[in-house]
Amino acid sequence: MRATAPIRTWFALVLALTLAACGSAKDEGRTTLVIQRFFGSCEAEYGANTDIASAEGECGIMTSIINAFEKANPDIEVKQNVVFWPGYDQLTAQLAANDAPDLVTMHGSVIADYQARGLLDPLGPDLAAIGITPDQFTPAARRAVTINGRVWGMPLDSWATLWHINMNLFRKAGLVENGRPVLPHSPDALLAQAEQFGRRTGKPYFVAPTANEYASFTRNFYTMVMQQGGRVYTGPRHANFQTPEARRALELFRTLYRRGLMTRNMDYSSAVSGFLNGAGGVFLVGTWMVQDFDTASRKPDRPLSNGYAVVPYPAIFAKDVTFADGHNWVMPHDPDRTPAERQAARKFLKFFAAHDIDWSRTGHLPAFSRVVEADAWQALPHREDLARLTETATPLPKQIRRQFPIETIVGQEAGAAITGAKSVDQALTDMERRVNAVLQHI
Amino acid sequence: MATAFSEPTAPIPAEPPKRRQAATWGNLLFVVPYLTVFAIMLVIPLGWGIWLSTTKGDLFGTDRWVGLANFIRLFRDPIFLETVWNTFYFVLLTVPALAAIGLALALVLNRQTRWAAVLRTIFFASTVLSVTVVTLVWRLVFLPDGGLLAVVTKALGGTPVAFLNDETLAMPAIAITTIWWCIGLPMVLFLAALQQVPRDLYEAAALDNASRWTTLTRITLPAIRRTFMLVLIIEIILQFQLFGQPQLMTLGGPNNATRPIVLFIYETGWRQWELGYASAAAQVLFVMILLAAMAQYRVSSRREET
Repeated sequence: MRATAPIRTWFALVLALTLAACGSAKDEGRTTLVIQRFFGSCEAEYGANTDIASAEGECGIMTSIINAFEKANPDIEVKQNVVFWPGYDQLTAQLAANDAPDLVTMHGSVIADYQARGLLDPLGPDLAAIGITPDQFTPAARRAVTINGRVWGMPLDSWATLWHINMNLFRKAGLVENGRPVLPHSPDALLAQAEQFGRRTGKPYFVAPTANEYASFTRNFYTMVMQQGGRVYTGPRHANFQTPEARRALELFRTLYRRGLMTRNMDYSSAVSGFLNGAGGVFLVGTWMVQDFDTASRKPDRPLSNGYAVVPYPAIFAKDVTFADGHNWVMPHDPDRTPAERQAARKFLKFFAAHDIDWSRTGHLPAFSRVVEADAWQALPHREDLARLTETATPLPKQIRRQFPIETIVGQEAGAAITGAKSVDQALTDMERRVNAVLQHI
Repeated sequence: MATAFSEPTAPIPAEPPKRRQAATWGNLLFVVPYLTVFAIMLVIPLGWGIWLSTTKGDLFGTDRWVGLANFIRLFRDPIFLETVWNTFYFVLLTVPALAAIGLALALVLNRQTRWAAVLRTIFFASTVLSVTVVTLVWRLVFLPDGGLLAVVTKALGGTPVAFLNDETLAMPAIAITTIWWCIGLPMVLFLAALQQVPRDLYEAAALDNASRWTTLTRITLPAIRRTFMLVLIIEIILQFQLFGQPQLMTLGGPNNATRPIVLFIYETGWRQWELGYASAAAQVLFVMILLAAMAQYRVSSRREET
């Protein structure tokens, strides 16, 4: 025993040193790029996939693009932190602890919060160094990353709430003409169509997540107000929700809910599966579901089989606008970032810009005008109908900060009004008070 | 105190004062590691939190000192006041139930049989689950569209109730989830206490032909009074800190009906970046827990004295 113990110790030491040497040899000369993203984790399915064209869905395409980047750049090791959506609490904690990743996915509506606090590096010069200039972005994408004339991120896409339509039910309801869905262009027409749909199909017109889900209420509410030309934000620190436009928007949804023209008690995932199973005619949800619903419509013997259409929000009121946001890559400020790491980040951004069309297969709108104009993008299902969104998609003004918590407040109050828990006037009063409390204490 | 049996003893010579003092200070070394951790992990953060509650700032620095402005704003904030009520309501729904059900389970399972051991394990098993798993399971129970309760209700010819989407029922639904999740700890504490009750008291009661009720109220309950108080205090402290269940099951809704103080603190501090305001709310919660636990302690102590 006494003789073998030192031998074992020496053997273990030599093995450890050998392994350490192998490890360092492997990593020698490789630059580590730390990226942090949402869009979920799908390692089991796409963990080793580098064939971007074969990938489906946000997670699959994102993972495959990153894998392909690593394959094309053997000198760069990409470390990926996949955060639970949207991951800003975690990012804020990391930045407070001086543990900034190199690149992070961030909504356009959130960029101003971090930029104003000096937590982001401007990306304009880096993008210019790799041949990307703001004039290449779509108007919606450019608005998302530009603050005071400076570019603070590279846009991945723009998104907006769409009308996903079950054409099989629309046909049954007599709301299809020349193969196209008949869309309402006034509140009265919407209510009349929804009543007709209900009578003929026995189902609600809208599939809507009304339980434990607030973002959807907010986005629809903002769109309805914008379509009337209303402005709920009269300055960077002031919201005015007690307007006729805001009242009309909430009352329209409240009427739809009260008359049973919207599904009830569905959370987000129930609403998605509800739409797939023919629970209603129109699902108001974002661009990210286009590919999933289109794929489902190609399967036989399903409620959505050969019966899926998707269009931008119709102009229910006077103006043809839709509230929009978008995903972007931003670079958190890190004084310790080396030139090699910054160069790796540039390469990564260039690679993503080159694959914008792959990313737009998710259903999100491309961030680059050249992709919108490309035949390959327009040949994708439904994209012809969606192209005008790159012009009509309208985010909130950039100077409005804390848009994410405000989205929850607006959604909570709008939800309370729509489901009848509060009067519309009370909900708008509370909404205004709560949002102003946030804005005025920034 | 000297008694009749005390033997007169020679006085113990006192040690020189200097040496005794040195020995006392030396003993302190034994508690220094604990005191250091206690100070770093509890005392300093508590003081820091109190200071932060008087400032305006975010995680990246304080902007300025605002005195009691955050507290004044808190008590004028209808949403915060609702969260205070929601938290109290939740504590009222859960703590007595946890104590009563925990005691009942312990009384039933306090026997040395194989089935009692199996059932004790089953009832305790839910405690080891994470809040994520617990809420996922119970959402599947409460879902009005295909959830367990909905299926049973439909089978009985009724209309499913949207528990989590109903202002009146959402908090009781969260309370049921919590009781299911947390019942293990009170049960185990009561079981431990029951096993400490001297057997001879029960034997004496049996010889006196005491009924089960008399045995319970005259022997068992008085004997485990201290544990009962401990369970109440522990559960008050735990349940005042409600967070994960509403965050994952209702997001504080519908119409703010299930938003507790900790969720308010989280949303204010992390989502709205108002660290000072969130800290003020945290201090209010700290005082509430302290007062509730002390009140419970005093009430129980007085009863014991009488």
